[in-house]
Amino acid sequence: MHISDGLILNNTSLVLAIMMWVLSIGIFAWSWKKALQTYTRSITALLAISSAFVFAAQMINFPILFGSSGHLVGGTFLAVLLGPYVAILSMTLVLGMQALFFADGGIVAFGMNMFNMAIIGGLSYFLIKALTRKSSSQKWFISSVFITSWISVMLGAVITSFEIAPAFSGGLAVTLPSMLLLHGIIGVGEGALTTVLITSIQRLNPTILGGLSLLKGRIDKT
Amino acid sequence: MKKYLIATIIIAIFLVVLIPFASSNPDGLEKVAITYGAEEHQSIWNGIMADYSFFSIGNQYFSTILAGIFGVVAVLVAGLVLSKVMTSNDKRAKKR
Repeated sequence: MHISDGLILNNTSLVLAIMMWVLSIGIFAWSWKKALQTYTRSITALLAISSAFVFAAQMINFPILFGSSGHLVGGTFLAVLLGPYVAILSMTLVLGMQALFFADGGIVAFGMNMFNMAIIGGLSYFLIKALTRKSSSQKWFISSVFITSWISVMLGAVITSFEIAPAFSGGLAVTLPSMLLLHGIIGVGEGALTTVLITSIQRLNPTILGGLSLLKGRIDKT
Repeated sequence: MKKYLIATIIIAIFLVVLIPFASSNPDGLEKVAITYGAEEHQSIWNGIMADYSFFSIGNQYFSTILAGIFGVVAVLVAGLVLSKVMTSNDKRAKKR
């Protein structure tokens, strides 16, 4: 879902890209402030290693229909592991390295990509939290992770459709349905991979997730 | 330090095993751009290793693996630096 600078080609796109830069930087600053309040040294290894893993996982594209492919975005995965604010910072690092070294996602379009993947991904934490508020069953927790992963990809695709629309002669009428169709399928992959990753981590090292408020009281029951 | 080395090795193995199976089809967004003929123009920045190919290594598989490992280490280091900055800020905040 990385928007390249090649798609920022007229004034409308450029204005949109600059607006998204401003918005994303603003939200980044807010999450930085929020993250500082709760950040503890003990999360260091988890932050560094899970970010590095998400970078690697994004390189593995799985084929979907119509000769197209998708890959894990990992926003919801990081949000479950690190909480919303640190997840936004972590995903921004991943996207930053991709844009800087590999031209995967543009520099001008970086604000857009940050919003579509890092910010939506990080904030998806609150959807899981809302969904699991009333139930502490492990099954429902994992279902919520799946649903949230799918929604975060779809929401990213919707916003992307608006952002890239100026580059298409058909505009939004072309980008929105096609982005939704493809990402509806990619989102299922995202949900499946995220739930597999989270359940494996719960099994291998329950204490990693134990400290998160999201999972309080849930770990002991598994 | 040791745990970061082990983590890097595990992620590198993950890449070595899975990259041959990775699909080279365009991703969802690229597919939309190709199908509906967005008039893409040249980017202002083409990265150092565009398309995840490590400098001038000819073999595509090794080239992608090396680029991947480079990226993994870069993200890992960036994560550690971020963490360092955040905890040092924290200490200063407490002293005040």
